[in-house]
Amino acid sequence: MEFGPILRALLRNKLGVMLIALQIAFTMTVTVNAVYIIDQRSERMARPSGLDEANIFHLSSVGYGNNFNESVASTEDLALIKAIPGVVDVTVMNAIPVSGSGSSTGVGIEPDRPETSVQTAMYTSDENVLNALGLNLVSGRAFSTNDVRRGGRDMERSHSVAILTTALAERIYPGEGMQAVGRTIHSPGGRTMEIIGLVERLQTPWPESSFIEQSMLIPEVVDDGSTLYIVRTVPGERDRIMTEVEELLAAQGHERILRNNRAFEETRENSYRLDSVMATILYVVIGTLMFITAMGIVGLAVFSINRRRKQIGTRRALGATRPDILRYFLLENLLISGSGVVLGAVLTLAFNMFLVQTFDMPRIDWFYAPVGMLLLIILGQLASLAPAAKASGIAPALATRSV
Amino acid sequence: MLKMHNINKVFRTEVVETHALRDFSLHVAEGEFVTVTGPSGCGKTTFLNIAGLLETASSGQYLLDGEDVSALNDFQRAKMRNQKIGFIFQSFNLMPDLNLFDNVDVPLRYRGVKAAERKDRIERALDAVGLLSRKKHLPAQLSGGQQQRVAIARALVGEPRFLLADEPTGNLDSNTAEGVMELLHSINSQGTTIIMVTHDAVLASRSARNIQILDGRIIDDRRAHQKAA
Amino acid sequence: MFFYYVRLALLSYRRNPVLSSLMVLAVAVGIGAYMVIFTMNYYMGGDPIPRKSEQLHHIQFDYGNPDIPNFNPPPQLTWIDATAMLEQTTAYPRTATSKFVAIIEPPGSEVRPFFVNGRGNSADFFSMFDVPFQYGGGWDRSADLNRDLVVVLSYELNERLFGGRDSVGETLVMHGLNFTVTGVMNRWQPAPKFYDVNNGSFDPIEEAYIPWELIISQELNRSGSTNCWQAPEGTGLQAFLNAECAWIQFWVELPDANARDDYSVLVDNYVAEQRALGRMRQPVEQRLYNVNEWMTYQEVHPDETRILAALAAMLLAVCLLNTVGLLLSKFLGKSGEIGVRQALGAHRGSLFVQHLIEAGVIGAMGGVLGIGVAALGLEGIKVLIGGLMITEWMRLDFTVMAITIVLAIVSTIIAGLYPIWRACTINPSVHLKSQ
Repeated sequence: MEFGPILRALLRNKLGVMLIALQIAFTMTVTVNAVYIIDQRSERMARPSGLDEANIFHLSSVGYGNNFNESVASTEDLALIKAIPGVVDVTVMNAIPVSGSGSSTGVGIEPDRPETSVQTAMYTSDENVLNALGLNLVSGRAFSTNDVRRGGRDMERSHSVAILTTALAERIYPGEGMQAVGRTIHSPGGRTMEIIGLVERLQTPWPESSFIEQSMLIPEVVDDGSTLYIVRTVPGERDRIMTEVEELLAAQGHERILRNNRAFEETRENSYRLDSVMATILYVVIGTLMFITAMGIVGLAVFSINRRRKQIGTRRALGATRPDILRYFLLENLLISGSGVVLGAVLTLAFNMFLVQTFDMPRIDWFYAPVGMLLLIILGQLASLAPAAKASGIAPALATRSV
Repeated sequence: MLKMHNINKVFRTEVVETHALRDFSLHVAEGEFVTVTGPSGCGKTTFLNIAGLLETASSGQYLLDGEDVSALNDFQRAKMRNQKIGFIFQSFNLMPDLNLFDNVDVPLRYRGVKAAERKDRIERALDAVGLLSRKKHLPAQLSGGQQQRVAIARALVGEPRFLLADEPTGNLDSNTAEGVMELLHSINSQGTTIIMVTHDAVLASRSARNIQILDGRIIDDRRAHQKAA
Repeated sequence: MFFYYVRLALLSYRRNPVLSSLMVLAVAVGIGAYMVIFTMNYYMGGDPIPRKSEQLHHIQFDYGNPDIPNFNPPPQLTWIDATAMLEQTTAYPRTATSKFVAIIEPPGSEVRPFFVNGRGNSADFFSMFDVPFQYGGGWDRSADLNRDLVVVLSYELNERLFGGRDSVGETLVMHGLNFTVTGVMNRWQPAPKFYDVNNGSFDPIEEAYIPWELIISQELNRSGSTNCWQAPEGTGLQAFLNAECAWIQFWVELPDANARDDYSVLVDNYVAEQRALGRMRQPVEQRLYNVNEWMTYQEVHPDETRILAALAAMLLAVCLLNTVGLLLSKFLGKSGEIGVRQALGAHRGSLFVQHLIEAGVIGAMGGVLGIGVAALGLEGIKVLIGGLMITEWMRLDFTVMAITIVLAIVSTIIAGLYPIWRACTINPSVHLKSQ
């Protein structure tokens, strides 16, 4: 309504306007980029591992002393665990997906051509792995008991079968990944593997890696002093069975210690801890900034209203209704916030470019800036609501008061 | 035009009760020029505030232009001020951040007048007080007399039936004051009712009707018959 | 006069408590948040061993296969090269070192066997890295050569096994072997854990330290990152040792520039020999890195803290803009008083100083409160991080607290310059009349 006069009056008080507009611009820059970083991290954290995450836990058994026989103990353990009501399946494995540590290798379609090889995580396990992890076989077959090779560190392993993730198959055979079953791949050291199956998804142990979806399963159980069990339970029974399994194994009296008995979800959460810490810190930063900026708006609005009490009284005398006065100050704030968010949009994009260049992050989506602008404008309106309401309560009789 | 009957205004604080107006009754006819005089604290300003709908009376009846305004709410009173009453203040009360054009514009904005008509009216009002050429100037760039002329233009731009002036010459030197008074008289002569509060006895003596207030009561209501024509 | 002004400042605070408290709060939050990030960066990016960081050097070899695309030379050494470098010269203190895990079987039956993280290292390790000892000490080089079963315990492990008493000379069963304790460390936690940034730069230190050669000769379970760019020929331990697999950190202490040049020649010659044998085909920029160069090269500083540093700087900027605005409100609101003081004979300079001190007092209050905010923030981050990494180093020491207060005062005064200038340069008669 009275855009022009308000704007002209504001231009006569550039500094106050500039202070608030700059605060809004910076707040918007930080908020939008922080939200963008949080979104990036949440996206990473939301990627499914391929496992039946809610119902899986793991437990390690590490032997000591001369009387400990690992293969005997683990055969016994597996039978005991499997017999517990509520256990869907159990397997032994060399590493836990998304846990941060494991083993990787290169695989390619030709032997000894490292330049053509594709990086992949290498999991070794037994015939129960697909069911125990809850993986989804999309092509070919699962491991059979005969596929599984067992032995010490020195055992012969030059040829075996393998199950790949579709992502890995697609990298090895671009465009025909789904037809990979039956083909043979090579890894360094003259090792060959026949692909017998494909699973939809199985992430590597390293959430940071560039090849997170590229994994390979080999049917192999190595006795190296330490056994990692992965147990899948029926829904809702995981926590109870976790305790039960540990007690049961401990009661067997083997010379070994049981460690790292954890729900898969907890292991996964630990791997992404830095991301969630970062997200929480950013939320706190955003909240703090919003609060400070809102306080700044309130502070300057109260000051400018106090300075203009007589003017407001005069306006009331000249026929301004209370809503008119309220509208005046909200509109004034809108103009200030408006200039702030325009500057903020520029700063936001500039800061994002800095992030993109320095930290190799993808560019911000287009809608972040407009949403941020809207958000900051709403913040400005909310913050000036109380001072504006106070201003609208100024009595018209103030106009005739001589002081 | 203005009819007050038994108006009382009481200001209460925790300790004292002050009666600013006591059983105050007054009738002002259409087209009159009334001056109100009295010592400081006599209730002049309270009378003006109530007459101008800036304050409400504690009791009594007030008819403005035939309408009982005692019962109007804040919003309705604002609308009524805007439509029917023009104000002129002792310290001009111009908006320092707005130029003359925007200052005169203020009441029209609240009336929701269309832009083209506003421009036309503002320029006529500024022309009437002889300041059209300076419409882009800020109040601080004008002398006191000129500022008061702008304030008069602002009061007149809405073509009110009723003009209330609160010591309009109080902050002006006598020559300038003379000019402002002439302007007011010429406005009055075109049919606008004017009530002017002043402590200047000379000005008061020159008006057609002068009311004297003391302790919240009218103690003298004198008409100068020679000027009634 | 200074104290008079401080008193005036406090009076002024009381006269306008909401506005003043808002300012103090804004300064406190801005400075506090900034200091949280500053503290993290200060330690993460700081020099973990200032006295010796120029002298301790890590070796980087020209590892990798140029045929493998995007292969960065691994920062650790292979077994062949680590043992060769140990033998090349004994003139300078040096250590090969890597991690292992083992089970300790405590004497008696009260404590169950438990799992420890251990480190194999050469005798010089302890003196090179200024490891503090509570009891006893390390072993000497002959123990390395003789593959003696000796062990140094961390403070925590000694607490757990021996209740904190002097356990030097005691026997410890680990990995089924009888080790003799030669020393017990005092509390020690370098941050970042510069001597091994391959396995968590902010991980806790290992609990048991043994001669590095034992890891191989006694076949302990190696742990920590291992990077191979050529598969072992054949199976078994020996094949692995001979393969192009890097898993050993190697440090050498070079006391001065001459020593560095000397050692540099030795390393270059060794590389030349190996090249002749067909190894080390991927050239590197530099082969000797001192501690700080190594921390930078290994990007120990997480991206997160750098992003947060930029965000914290903006947060501080907003808080200071806020302070400028609020100070402007406050000082312009005081223009009447300023006018009176000017009329009473105060000259502009003294008014300026008075208000600078007023701004400084607000800044100081903000700083003190900001220390609280920072402490709270650091505690919060510690809670969030949990056991993910060691966080003992995230604390406010005297330096950080002093920086906080000084930064708060200085930045508030800077924020106050314009408002004060505005308030003090208005003509006094205007103040007096307009009231």
